[in-house]
Amino acid sequence: MGVVGAFCVSVNREICINAQMPGKCATCAEVCPHGVYALDVETGQMQIQNFNACVGCRICAEFCPANAIRINPAESEYISRYPWTFSAIEEVHHKAQTGEYLLRGFGTQGPTPNFDMITVVPSQIASEAPRDKYREECNMQVIIGEDTCEKPMILKLPFVWPAMSFGALSKEAKLALAIGAAMTGIATNTGEGGLLPEEMWLSRGYADEKRKQKKWEPGGSLVVQWSTGRWGVSAEYVNSGDAVEVKIGQGAKPGMGGHLLGAKVTEAVSEVRGIPVGSDALSPCRYYDVQTMDDMKHMVSFLRDVTEHKFPILFKLGPSRPYADVAACIEAGADAISIDGLVGGTGCSPDLVTQGVGIPTIACIPPAVQALKDYGVYRKVKLIALGGIRNGLDAFKAMAMGADAVGFGSAAEVALGCRVCYACHKGNCPYGITSQKEEFRARLDPVEGGERLANFIRATGEEVKILTMLSGHSSIADLSPEDLRAMDLNTAALTGLKLAGFERPLPMWEDGFVGVSGNGKK
Amino acid sequence: MKTIDAKSKELREVNGALRESLNGGPVEIKNAEDLHGLAAGLNRGEVVVRGSAGDYLGVLNSGGTIRVTKNAGKYVADNMTDGVIIIEGNADYGVGQYCYGGTVVVHGNAGDFTATMNKGATIIVNGDVGDEAGTYMLAGDLVVVGNAGENFANYLIRGDIYIGGEWKSLGHNTKLKSLTKKDIGKLEKYFEAHGLDADPTGFKKIVAASEKPFYH
Repeated sequence: MGVVGAFCVSVNREICINAQMPGKCATCAEVCPHGVYALDVETGQMQIQNFNACVGCRICAEFCPANAIRINPAESEYISRYPWTFSAIEEVHHKAQTGEYLLRGFGTQGPTPNFDMITVVPSQIASEAPRDKYREECNMQVIIGEDTCEKPMILKLPFVWPAMSFGALSKEAKLALAIGAAMTGIATNTGEGGLLPEEMWLSRGYADEKRKQKKWEPGGSLVVQWSTGRWGVSAEYVNSGDAVEVKIGQGAKPGMGGHLLGAKVTEAVSEVRGIPVGSDALSPCRYYDVQTMDDMKHMVSFLRDVTEHKFPILFKLGPSRPYADVAACIEAGADAISIDGLVGGTGCSPDLVTQGVGIPTIACIPPAVQALKDYGVYRKVKLIALGGIRNGLDAFKAMAMGADAVGFGSAAEVALGCRVCYACHKGNCPYGITSQKEEFRARLDPVEGGERLANFIRATGEEVKILTMLSGHSSIADLSPEDLRAMDLNTAALTGLKLAGFERPLPMWEDGFVGVSGNGKK
Repeated sequence: MKTIDAKSKELREVNGALRESLNGGPVEIKNAEDLHGLAAGLNRGEVVVRGSAGDYLGVLNSGGTIRVTKNAGKYVADNMTDGVIIIEGNADYGVGQYCYGGTVVVHGNAGDFTATMNKGATIIVNGDVGDEAGTYMLAGDLVVVGNAGENFANYLIRGDIYIGGEWKSLGHNTKLKSLTKKDIGKLEKYFEAHGLDADPTGFKKIVAASEKPFYH
């Protein structure tokens, strides 16, 4: 389901600067990532050239100096013409004309099963009494690799920035994430595009390489990703962080590798990745240097060896067969496992893969938890839920379902100013988040961005704390599915949560996950 | 020369002992065929593996010199950035994958997917290579003195591939180019440096047909 043709663009010509003075203003044409507006160079007049291409991000409306633009969703289209909506028709036309499938950035569009039909159960008189957020403490810390590593990774709040590469993101956005992590004591992640040297000190809270004085307390952590394209990876690289993450897959395009189109492979990106300028950096879908599960175990063992057993080894999974995949990560020797759900985002992916491939996040967590329990490592090997988590409410629900921490990828971009225009792959991000172009990047200040991100994390941390304490807990490690109820049958069926009103799980879930799927132990 | 007997030892113990001994001259390791990841991440020193080596020999090598007197397992020199790895016998699947720099020389034959995603290393095979050698290479040299299997140089992006013998089939995005004087000089230097008896004048050179074969 694309968004082509889903919005009505209107310009109030009475206040539009260009309509009054042709040639005077071309802001909308400059900022629109999809070419909706065009300036006629002969007459100087601005025209809505391609209103069908509007995706409703409203960047033009935000930038318009005269506030003359209104974007309204053409909702009735989706009711009256479904399934042959305008966007479905336009997509067929695009393929018929070009012979090419659609690519896009960001994440899944349209409704998919999500956290919204889950509600939080507060404490009253019968259960453990609520804790007082204003007068009592709440333990929010997560430690990864406590029993297995010489230098476990400590998250002051149960949040991470998931892997987003330099290349997919601008340098400024990467540095903002590192600063935001330092200000809040969480972890940032290099992604698979290599390491920017500044990430090393900024993420730990230091303003410069010498690391004499800490600028941002409490200082955060840096996860370096080990992936299938191995961009910019060396022995020095794997020793630059506080943890190494082995990427198996991601929610936006599980079963495929990273896509970075040549348009974004600038001089600087090519240097960090060690690849030619302008080449498409297409990561393989699997490791060329792993053919068997034993190979994977050996990979973990040499990564531990090269990092001298200091740092945790994390795994990142796309949403496929969560029980079996998490079990395999445990067998391979993971200290923490991230599982990214269907709606997890990306810088670039074939549209149909982002849209139609993978299991929703809410259905990934219960099987993942079951696998951890069956191996006797629940709460020891940490589970990090990713994919469509937007706020403290989503985060709390994921953690009550059994995750130890959550990641904010798309939400981090939005916190930096993104308005979700789905054009991350084009390199024209007007906020400088996913663009490599100087003029756009100049709009994003890493310290200001870091502050916005830190504000978002602090507020979200408080939200999680409110919910943890009102449900009678003083530590996030004590959350459980008993703190949640599903509000509809679908959500109860997908998650095994008790159905509100019914106060039990659906009958098929009575024996737990094993009764439903045949996987796992009772 | 200091000798480490790796028999029934764990990787951590052997690599730990190896790193400690590197400053005192070359180190010999024996009975290492069951260890995977031997001599990982070395940044200096000289190692001789007496006999055969297991998988992932010299992974992440960033400056060490490693010689194996017999055969090596899968993924020799995986993700190497600098240094030299010499296999006097044969090497299995995936020699020199993901390398950014350094040199790998296999005196015997090398398996499938040799030099996959090479990003700058020099990989020389005196014998034959299996199928899919040079897949998605982005920079560096692959030199095959013998023959190659199916889908040779598949989806080559950049870098140069030289071959003395024949291939069973050539991969996508490849084109043949004649050797320049510079190419011949380079190959002569490689052969001389590693004591290989080969004549570069009969070699063929394969380069990428397009630098952007996927998305336009």
